[in-house]
Amino acid sequence: MSEATLYQEWTDEQKYAHFMKRIEVGEKIEADDWMPEDYRMTLIKLISMHGISEIMGALPEKEWVPKAPSLKRKLGIMAKVQDEMGHGQLLLRVAEDLMKPLGRTREDIMQDLFSGRLKFHNVFHMEAPTWGDAGLIGWLVDGAAIITQTNMLNASYGPYARALKRICAEEVFHAQHGEAIIMALAEGTEKQKVMVQDAVNRWWEALLMFFGPGDASTTGTSKQDITIKYKIRTKTNEDLRQDFFTKYIPRVLSLGLTLPDETMYFDQEKNLWVYKQPDWNKFKNIIKNNGPKSNERLSLRRTAYDTNKWVREALNTAN
Amino acid sequence: MGSEGFYQEFEVFSKRTDTSPLQYQFSLLAPNRELALVMAQENFMRREPVADIWVVKRSDIRKMSLDEKQSLQRLDNKDYRTTKGYGYLKKKWRHYEQEMLDENEILSWGGLKKSE
Repeated sequence: MSEATLYQEWTDEQKYAHFMKRIEVGEKIEADDWMPEDYRMTLIKLISMHGISEIMGALPEKEWVPKAPSLKRKLGIMAKVQDEMGHGQLLLRVAEDLMKPLGRTREDIMQDLFSGRLKFHNVFHMEAPTWGDAGLIGWLVDGAAIITQTNMLNASYGPYARALKRICAEEVFHAQHGEAIIMALAEGTEKQKVMVQDAVNRWWEALLMFFGPGDASTTGTSKQDITIKYKIRTKTNEDLRQDFFTKYIPRVLSLGLTLPDETMYFDQEKNLWVYKQPDWNKFKNIIKNNGPKSNERLSLRRTAYDTNKWVREALNTAN
Repeated sequence: MGSEGFYQEFEVFSKRTDTSPLQYQFSLLAPNRELALVMAQENFMRREPVADIWVVKRSDIRKMSLDEKQSLQRLDNKDYRTTKGYGYLKKKWRHYEQEMLDENEILSWGGLKKSE
């Protein structure tokens, strides 16, 4: 292609070649830059789901704000809940800029959430019945989130990479906040120890599901290949799940806890954890908003949105 | 969306301390500048120290196109504009048994008087 012609006069093929060259050399793509349609659509799906999951993820934890066992714990979990909402806002901004050329806005994101078109992470459809669950969400759910998010810190899409940098820094606090709760319980009374073990048992399957199925054969579609091709991430779902096991299983066991999968072991030769697959049909069903808490949390979000409608109207300068 | 309505786009900048440069943070949606400022603090300054925050309506920013950005690339032939092009003076001063007054040295001259 001739460098002398103006970029806006290039053909789509020339723009695509230039785009691929840019991401190959590690340049960041920005919101106003030309990008292939499937790159834009993949990012919109990934980031709106991530953003809305942060917001829905604050709901199981906020249930524990009034019931936290001490003032210090209450302040800690309040800060975490506030962070999750902040992460949601950051990520929605990234998704909204990508949707702008399609004429779609935050209003559409909220309506898609309510109608079930926009999904949120499987883990946030689950119950958090004890303080042990509150701790476990911080320790292992945020731990799992750190594994997937650090994998995208160098994403080719600049605004997402920058948002993740901010988010991951705060996730470190979240993980340690969760660890502090779990360790206090694990070193506590018999009843407290049982509480942590129950939480591990309850969350195990959801944690395996968190990283998504190994390939498209399970759920029909998978964005893994396209996200790797466009350098949005580097590792596959299974790579990330294995990383999670390697980082966290020794820590879980060191606290005297057991894994609810008795068949699980580390295969030294293959350098892989061998484990029992979760029920992927159950996973499909959960993310279709048929999890134990899906409807309750969605309706809480919808009520908040409807109840605050008058504020949006009162401050709407276009009226 | 952008210039009116409840969800208007603002870009957020902040200074960590009085002497640090203004740094870009991120964007947010707010119905007006005052709420944009409040949200900027809540969204981006929950922990880090901050001395000042600016919010700018995105529609007021003139950005560069890709063509314009490409015109920013420089040829690597500007030695005559930088101290790099005069590095050879160090050796020459050594000949006269003098230290060269380089950037580090010169920028250290402000501040206290000798007697203090």
